[in-house]
Amino acid sequence: MLSVSSLECRYGKVAAVRGLSLEVNKGELVSLIGANGAGKTTTLKAISGVLPPAGGRVIFEGEDITHASARRILQLGIAHCPEGRRVFPYMTVRENLEMGCFLRHDKPGIAADLKRLFERFPILDERRHQAAGTLSGGEQQMLAISRALMSRPKLVLFDEPSLGLAPNIVEKTFDIIKQIRSEGVTVVMVEQNALAALELSDRAYVMEQGSVTLSGSGRQLLDDPQVQKVYLGG
Amino acid sequence: MDQFLQHLLNALMLGGTYALLGIGLTLIFGIMRVVNFTHGELYAFGAYMMYALVMRTGVNFFVALVLAIALGALLGAALEFVLLRRLRGADIDTTMLVMIGAWIALQNTEQLVWTGVAKSIDNPFPAAPLVIGAVSVGWNRVFVFVVALLLIGITYFLIQKTKLGKAMRATFQDRDTAALMGVQIGSIHTATFALGSALAAAAGALLGPVFVAYPSMGDMAAAKAFAIVILGGLGSIPGATLGGFILALAEELGAGYISSGYRDAMSFLLIIAILVFKPTGLFAQKERIG
Repeated sequence: MLSVSSLECRYGKVAAVRGLSLEVNKGELVSLIGANGAGKTTTLKAISGVLPPAGGRVIFEGEDITHASARRILQLGIAHCPEGRRVFPYMTVRENLEMGCFLRHDKPGIAADLKRLFERFPILDERRHQAAGTLSGGEQQMLAISRALMSRPKLVLFDEPSLGLAPNIVEKTFDIIKQIRSEGVTVVMVEQNALAALELSDRAYVMEQGSVTLSGSGRQLLDDPQVQKVYLGG
Repeated sequence: MDQFLQHLLNALMLGGTYALLGIGLTLIFGIMRVVNFTHGELYAFGAYMMYALVMRTGVNFFVALVLAIALGALLGAALEFVLLRRLRGADIDTTMLVMIGAWIALQNTEQLVWTGVAKSIDNPFPAAPLVIGAVSVGWNRVFVFVVALLLIGITYFLIQKTKLGKAMRATFQDRDTAALMGVQIGSIHTATFALGSALAAAAGALLGPVFVAYPSMGDMAAAKAFAIVILGGLGSIPGATLGGFILALAEELGAGYISSGYRDAMSFLLIIAILVFKPTGLFAQKERIG
C-alpha cells in the first residue's frame, strides 16, 4: 500500500533521514520506534507532504507522492495525526472536526461521521461548543484522532500518540488505535513507548540516526536481545 | 452636557470606519505576520475610486461604493500575489522593507494620476442634518456609520461561520496543522490580504465623500489603524472594533476639550499609553483571530 524507498530529508544542511526504506501493507499496523532524533517524526512529515523530501521515493497505492502537496496526499487517503495533538486551541471541538473534513463535500456523509464520532466519544459531544484548548490532554488526543478520521482516510499516521498522557489515557489511546485498525484502516505509528508499540504492532521498524537498523514482526522485535537492551530497558 | 453628547455621537459615527481600518490590519498581521504599510494607501485608493467613479464617470454613488470596495479587494489580492507570495518564509524585516516600498510607490502613483490637489466627492444625501433633541448629525455620516456596522457584521460572519473563515482561523492558530487538513496556505494569504484591503478601501470610500481625497490621506489613516490594532490587541476582531470606537472617542474629546489641533495626536498618545501600561492591548487573549 505504502512504499518508501531511500528517503532523504534535511532541515537546512542537517540530514534527519538518510536512505530510509519501509513497506506498509493494507490493513497492517506498523510502528516506527527509536530514540529521540532518530528521524521518526520527519519520516511521517515526508510521507504526509508537510516536509518535502530531499531524495528517495514515496509510493502510495501505485501513485508517486514524493513531491505531492499535503492537500493532494490527504485527498488520496493519508491522514496525519501530528505529535503533540495540535488541536486548534481557539476553535470549538466541532470546528476542529470540521477542519478534519475540510476537503470533503458530502454533507450527509460528514453529518453521519460526526454523529458516529460523538457516539463513540461522548465527552467530545458534551464539549462540542467548547474551545479545544480548554480540553484535558486525553480529550485533546481523542479530538486529534477523531479529526484525522473525519477525512475518511485509508491510512493514518500517528505521531507519538501517547506522549504526555496519563497512563490510563495512554492505554485508552492504544485501544482506540487498535479499534481503528480493526475497522480496516491501515496505521503507521511513531512511538517512544516501544514496549506498548511492539505489543500492538503487526510489524515494526527500529530507527537510528535517520535509517532503519532492524525490522520484523512486533513479537520478533520484542524478543530481540538488542531491542530489549536499548529500547525496553532490559 | 449637550456638547458632550454631541461629541459622543460624532465619535460613534466615526468609530465604525476606524473599526473597519483596524479589523483589516489586524487580520493581515494575525494571519500572515505581515506589517502592512500599504494599508493606508488602500484607504486612499478607496476614496480615489469613489472620486473616479462618481465625479469622473458619473456612476451612481451606491454602485460606486460597492465597486470601490471590490476594486480594493482586487488590488489587495494583486499585491499579495505579486509581492508577498514571493516573500513567504522571508524574515519580517525584509517583508517590512518591501511593504514600505510598496507604500511609497502607491502613494506617488496616486499623486501622479490625481495630482496633489484635494478632490471632493459629491454625495446624494440631504444637506440638512438629522436633529435629535439638542444634538445633530449629517445624513452622510449616518450612512457611513450604518454601512460600517454592516461590513463589520459581514466580516465577523465570514470569519466565524464560513469555511473560508474557519480555514483562516485555523491557519492563524497553527499553520502546519492547517496545511495537514488540506488548507492551501497560499490561497488563505491571498484571501486575507484581499479582505483586509477591501476593508481599508471601504473605510476610504466611506470617508472620502465626507472629507476630501488627497494623496497623503493614507498616512494618517495607517497611523490610526496601527493605533487601533495596538489598542485592541493583535488578531482580535472584537478588540479592533472596540479599539476603533475608543480612538474615535479620544479624538473627539481631545479635539473638543483640549484643542482641535490635538485630534490627530490622540492616536499617538493612545499608542504610547497602551505600550507603557498594557502592551498586549486591551482585549488580547494571548493570540487569536475571532
